[in-house]
Amino acid sequence: MRLPRIFPRPTSEHGIWSWVSTVDHKRIGTLYAVTSFLWFLVGGVEALLMRLQLSQADSTLIDPETFNQLFTMHGTTMVFLVVMPLSAAFFNWLVPLQIGARDVAFPRLNALSYWIFLFGSLFLNFSWVVGDAPNGGWFGYAPNSHVAYNPTDGMTYWVIGLNILGVASIAAGLNFIVTILNMRAPGMTLTKMPVFTWMTFVTSVLIVLALPVLTVALIQLQVDRLYGTNFYNSAAGGDPVLWQHVFWLFGHPEVYILILPAMGIVSEILPVFSRKPLFGYSFLVFAGVAIGFMGWFVWSHHMFTVGLGPAANSAFAISTMAIAIPTGVKIFNWLGTMWGGSIRFSTAMLFAISFIAMFTIGGLSGVMHASVPTDAQQQDTYFVVAHFHYVLFGGAIMAIFGGIYFWWPKATGYMLSEGWGKANWLIMLIGFNLQFAPQHWLGLDGMPRRVFTYAENMGWENTNMYASAGGFLMALGVLLFIINVFYSARKRVPAGDDPWDGRTLEWTMSSPPPHYNFATIPVVEHRDDFWFKKYPETIAEYYHDDHAGELTAPSGAQFDDDVDMAEDEHAEAHASDHHGDDDHGHGDIHLPDMSYYPFILALGLTIVGAGLMTIIPVIIIGTIVLLWGLIGWSMEPVNDPAPDGAAHGH
Amino acid sequence: MQHRFIPSRFLKLALLVPALAATFIIAACSPQHPQSTFGYAGPVARDQGELFLFIFWIAVFVFIVVEGAIIYAAIRYRKRDEKIPKQVHGNTKLEITWTIVPSIVIAIIAVPTIIGIWEQQRGAPTDQGDILEVEAIGHRWWFEFRYPNQEVVTANEMHVPVGRPVNIKLTSQDVIHSFWVPKLAGKVDMVPLNDNLIWFIAEEPGIYDGQCAEFCGIAHAHMRFRVIAHPEEDFQNWIAGMRTPPEPFEAGSSAQQGQTLFATHCKTCHTDDSWRQDAYSLEIQQQDSRWATWLADIEDSRIVSAPNMTNYSQRHFLGAGIKENSRENLIRWITDPNDIKIGTSMQDHAAVYQERADNKANLSPQEIENIADYLLALKPGDISQIVAPLITGGTPEERGEQLFISIGCNACHSLDADTTIVGPSLVGIADRAGTRTSLSADDYLRQSINDPGAYIVDGFTNSMVVPKIPPDQVNDLIAYITTLE
Repeated sequence: MRLPRIFPRPTSEHGIWSWVSTVDHKRIGTLYAVTSFLWFLVGGVEALLMRLQLSQADSTLIDPETFNQLFTMHGTTMVFLVVMPLSAAFFNWLVPLQIGARDVAFPRLNALSYWIFLFGSLFLNFSWVVGDAPNGGWFGYAPNSHVAYNPTDGMTYWVIGLNILGVASIAAGLNFIVTILNMRAPGMTLTKMPVFTWMTFVTSVLIVLALPVLTVALIQLQVDRLYGTNFYNSAAGGDPVLWQHVFWLFGHPEVYILILPAMGIVSEILPVFSRKPLFGYSFLVFAGVAIGFMGWFVWSHHMFTVGLGPAANSAFAISTMAIAIPTGVKIFNWLGTMWGGSIRFSTAMLFAISFIAMFTIGGLSGVMHASVPTDAQQQDTYFVVAHFHYVLFGGAIMAIFGGIYFWWPKATGYMLSEGWGKANWLIMLIGFNLQFAPQHWLGLDGMPRRVFTYAENMGWENTNMYASAGGFLMALGVLLFIINVFYSARKRVPAGDDPWDGRTLEWTMSSPPPHYNFATIPVVEHRDDFWFKKYPETIAEYYHDDHAGELTAPSGAQFDDDVDMAEDEHAEAHASDHHGDDDHGHGDIHLPDMSYYPFILALGLTIVGAGLMTIIPVIIIGTIVLLWGLIGWSMEPVNDPAPDGAAHGH
Repeated sequence: MQHRFIPSRFLKLALLVPALAATFIIAACSPQHPQSTFGYAGPVARDQGELFLFIFWIAVFVFIVVEGAIIYAAIRYRKRDEKIPKQVHGNTKLEITWTIVPSIVIAIIAVPTIIGIWEQQRGAPTDQGDILEVEAIGHRWWFEFRYPNQEVVTANEMHVPVGRPVNIKLTSQDVIHSFWVPKLAGKVDMVPLNDNLIWFIAEEPGIYDGQCAEFCGIAHAHMRFRVIAHPEEDFQNWIAGMRTPPEPFEAGSSAQQGQTLFATHCKTCHTDDSWRQDAYSLEIQQQDSRWATWLADIEDSRIVSAPNMTNYSQRHFLGAGIKENSRENLIRWITDPNDIKIGTSMQDHAAVYQERADNKANLSPQEIENIADYLLALKPGDISQIVAPLITGGTPEERGEQLFISIGCNACHSLDADTTIVGPSLVGIADRAGTRTSLSADDYLRQSINDPGAYIVDGFTNSMVVPKIPPDQVNDLIAYITTLE
């Protein structure tokens, strides 16, 4: 049955409307990257303002309320608006390219994720405009976040904003799980998947399981604040410790949501610039899965001083220490990858190596506060601030910058300047260590977190001054990156298809990749398939070792299981079975149609969220827009209906 | 190979850098800093600090191995030619090794960790002297300290005896705070509806800085306190002082005028006379009712929970430990608390601040000085200079009972056989007195009243002060005391 075209689909390929209606994973990836990089700058400025305030004792530069808003929004921004969506930018750009697919499984849902993320982030930051930015910390501890103690609208923006963002994350997580499980090229079994894709998969599972936990907590806090319920209101018998359990039950897997993609990126960069396959692929992948699994059993280490009792504290101390083991396995395997290689120190590689070095420091301090008695002195001090910045900046952000330098030529077709890049890396690395290494001893010297000032006689002034100087040096590093982007965009040194002698499928196509990615869906035989096709003489030595039984050189898709068979059919359906019209000028390649409805649906959802700030008419308007988006979405036809009328789920 | 690579020289360098860094860390965490976690003044902080150092040195070793290996690999395996390196894909034996070795290291760290958890979280040791029980209550943004057995209540400065274990029950009236005195013990949170326990022993007399460590709102950074550790005798004197009224103020003096002003503007929330009989339980009731009043009308309540001001002049700091308790600072504070510390409930709620548009105290500078003078005059009076009031009528026992209460004997001597406030309980003293010295019970008591140091009961120190009591009235007192059973 053909529907009348009352909801025509957009077709323009240029201009702003082509971006609004795009469902192309590469364009969405770019949107994610640009948006979250802008938030990275905002979060960075928030950090610099705090560093300015703390560089001197008893400073009155920034008033306490603003300071509380700054650290709340810095944390919230960097977690939800920077590291998560920057990772999503990489997922979007790379996963289909690495697995040999033409798009993600649900392209419109993918666009919806981005638009919800954009509107949610704007909504959250709109609180700055009205002067009531969230001020209860990124962890929003009850009952300090309750309206009795926090009567401004800030935490309501926070609760609703995060819930909107959660929808985006969960949808994206589902999308990548389905994409990775179902859309791999023929021959690419799970054990041949690039490690970045693997980590995307693990991360997506964590997102889908962890974000709903946060959603529940946020809705409870929201109705506490808006409608006077008492889930977490201790004055009426609500339990504030319950908030902490629920928040960290989300919050700790969240830490791995932030770091696993970075680990995936590093696992792609190191082999290429060492000219060696990833050492211990199966162990590295398994360690990633193990971290994702064990990440669910350690949340109470954020609560060692809450008074859970010695039995609970002992159990969580052990589980937390245990998670260091798979993390160590990863670090040693990355080292093993470099060992015996032929290492080229490109900017991407320098960032990747710095990731290992800095992440190791964050891991070691992590073991220190896994030890409960030690943590009693460190909890809520600058020692913890130093620890998680070594993990999240020294770890996640370093890896992400490495990833940007690594895949930039693929995405744009031209190189980023290596000269500016190395300056960027060096200044950032020095600035980072100058800022955060001293914070370890600030914490041990008794300086608590989240204080807007400190007294002169505490002995913290010099150390804080170094840290602030380091902060500004980091900012200079970021500035060098921006300069590099503009400089390189002017220079436009062509990258070619395979500038780094890459190993995985994305390097087989032109730079930037064509709209349809792969003219023919590739057939995968090996891990690092592209490398072994370039250097077939090295195949034998890769498969020749003690794993021979498990990993004899495969031919074709002999390891395919049932799922993979289904995927093959799916891929072939994409590649050849479909003889639609030629709207996109790519012969018989079927591509998803563009659509405005993800944008409209996201807009409606955000307006409803804004209306929940107790403005009833806005809720009604938002609901109308939301329904318009939903109905339009479900009613819009495909532009190139298949002759057999088969639906393709786009 | 053009350049010979010499690992040993490289390794020396790799060892030197972190070793220097480590030395710097230890030196930088100067133990003399007020909140240094390395300035141990008690067993709990020491155990925690030493466990940290134990893990720290293991971490330094791992750090050197890993970072050294990174640098070594980066230099050793840098690109020298176009040859493709061997495409090794892994090594199971290595994988097993670097799974098992870290597991062993983790186990080595886990053992003292678990021991430490149970030692520090099971409460104060019972074999190291009498345990002092204290209750600490977090308020936005100050600390309340209650001594249930001594019936003493104070704020922001917690007095403890040196060398005795202190067991502190932690709770909060409003949001989550955290009790942290780095030199005595790592922090434990003060969570509403969830009582927690922390204990420590202060080994040296001194003033130890403490600070709230859980973000609790706008003045979190200014929520500090002190633990003041005294030798036992000074501590007993402090307790006795907290049960002793101030000397009366001279009529017409600044302090006396301040007393009136304080009673009008401040006293609804700030109790200043918890030395009174039954004041302790009354203060607890009042603090609860102030809190309930605020909760019932969060926006406009004129009543809030507030620090107890008994013996205020003995405080070293004001504003929850952030400024020296000088007359000048006190005047600044009363005039406009916001000038010293943001967000005080006093300024947000008390009528005297709400009456003015700029939220400063609606008092003349002279009145503010009077209040300051009054507060700085709040200290235990010298009882020995007071003449006991003349009590007439009734039997000797009845006169003795009135006297016992009016001169405040009951502040330190409990009338319950099982309770010790400061001095020994007097229940059944008639039977015991005769056994202590060669004196009769009456003479023993007379000697103890006139010369308290003549005989000291085991386990107590002499901190007793008595006003001037005429001999007849001493007889009345003895008559009453010997009836206590």
